[in-house]
Amino acid sequence: MRHKRESEMLSTVSKVQPQAPQAESAAAGAVTLDQATIRFGEVTAFQDVSLDIRPGEFVSVVGPSGCGKTTILNYIAGLLPREVLSEGSIDVLGEAPTTGNPHLGYMLARDSLLPWRTALGNAEFGMEARGVAKAERRARAHELLARVGLKDFEKSYPKMLSHGMRQRVALARTFCLDAELLLMDEPYGALDAQTKFQLEELLMDLWQGSGRTVLFITHDLAEAIALGDRVVVMAPRPGRIISDIEIDLPRPRNLRALQRDTRYHELYRHVWSTLEEGFENTGEQQ
Amino acid sequence: MNPQEKRHSPWLVFSSQIIVVGGLIGIWEYIMYIGWASAALYGQPSGIWDALGYGLIETTELWQELGWTMLAVLIAFGIGAGVALIIGMLFVLFPFIEKVMEPLLAALNAMPRIALAPLLILWFGLGMGSKVAIGASLTFFIVLQSVTAGGRGVNQDHITLSQTLGLKPLESFWKITMPTAVPTVFAGLRLGLMYALLGVVAGEIIASEHGLGQRVAYLTSSFDINGVWAVVCVLSVVGMALSWSLGALENRLLRWQ
Repeated sequence: MRHKRESEMLSTVSKVQPQAPQAESAAAGAVTLDQATIRFGEVTAFQDVSLDIRPGEFVSVVGPSGCGKTTILNYIAGLLPREVLSEGSIDVLGEAPTTGNPHLGYMLARDSLLPWRTALGNAEFGMEARGVAKAERRARAHELLARVGLKDFEKSYPKMLSHGMRQRVALARTFCLDAELLLMDEPYGALDAQTKFQLEELLMDLWQGSGRTVLFITHDLAEAIALGDRVVVMAPRPGRIISDIEIDLPRPRNLRALQRDTRYHELYRHVWSTLEEGFENTGEQQ
Repeated sequence: MNPQEKRHSPWLVFSSQIIVVGGLIGIWEYIMYIGWASAALYGQPSGIWDALGYGLIETTELWQELGWTMLAVLIAFGIGAGVALIIGMLFVLFPFIEKVMEPLLAALNAMPRIALAPLLILWFGLGMGSKVAIGASLTFFIVLQSVTAGGRGVNQDHITLSQTLGLKPLESFWKITMPTAVPTVFAGLRLGLMYALLGVVAGEIIASEHGLGQRVAYLTSSFDINGVWAVVCVLSVVGMALSWSLGALENRLLRWQ
């Protein structure tokens, strides 16, 4: 009985979400970096980066530490002062980046859950901050927690949850938002391989058909290819894009089946060799 | 929580505690009994027991004095902690104010405030006012420090989260900064309560009409050492009870920890 009602509610949610990308911004791109250079005083975080992310696209960014991946994300999220952009332009949904942009969701490597809130309270927190009415946010948090497989853990505090479960709550919090652009900074960087795989599948499940644009930063090449429509490869000192590879694997993707897919492995080899060409010290990869 | 921690049977622990305490009291009693030290000067457990019976059951005067002391402690704690909470929150919200006030507060805090007690008694008289003032002034600084320290300890990830979600500063203060500070503030409150008791009793010892501290001063000056020990016993039980009740409240409110 309860299951039925949930699936009904879910279908209404997925009906709401695809309207997210604005019609006008479709031409402009969800995120556009045009020959952008960011400097912190003397230090160049990245140089001459051009990247056009289309609405609804899932773009993975890989590269070693110090290549400016996180800086790009933080600038898009409006967490950095405008002045650090010394050349070029960065537009987010057709506008300059702003702090607390309501069209945007941000997810970190650490779950950043509030320890004094239950899983339910944490799932609601994003909507609460964005002024969603109480009844609605409660209902949506219930749905999303059920979708991430934490239906029975709604009343648990973060300290009682495992790493993977906490990151599931963070996923629920992020996907509860009406944000059409999701920025993810190595969200699974701290997880073990098995948990990571489950959460990647979950992310695909939540994202596919939602119409949201995702900018996904990772150290993990396999993850970048399995999830992304495109893989952007960056190199450090100064941070720059050395390759932008289209991943033509069909959607929806089944991550388990992908492990035995020849095209997937071809792409993996291709991206890997690009990485190797791009810089000498591949030691930091994988 | 730690699985490595060895579990001892609570009964074993309890009975061992009884043996240790009972042994110490027994040694004390024996030393006085055989006359190695003067019972008139150092007191004697059996005499303390009698004094407790006399003060608590026969005359109930210790209860009355305890009532005066407790009333003063609660008022002192309420005022000291309340003002400290408000000022502390202002400091956290407006770090500029804290910066301006810091040297003054540091100087006031460094001052041994018990030394001000005679002055406070002069100003507020021998009744409630003076001991409340002493207790409150001790509590105030402890709690204030805990609020500002707790408010500073906000997790950087939570700051990033609140920025990207677009929380306004005041919302962020109530939803993130204050809950973060609660455990530290509780530690400060617990200590503050002990300091309120300390301040009130000190005030009573120096000069007061009522209270357990006044009894200590009176009984000492009349060489009723067992009576002094009896009051000290009551005070330590009160101290433990206060600390325990605040701890219980803390456990209830901080289940998430």
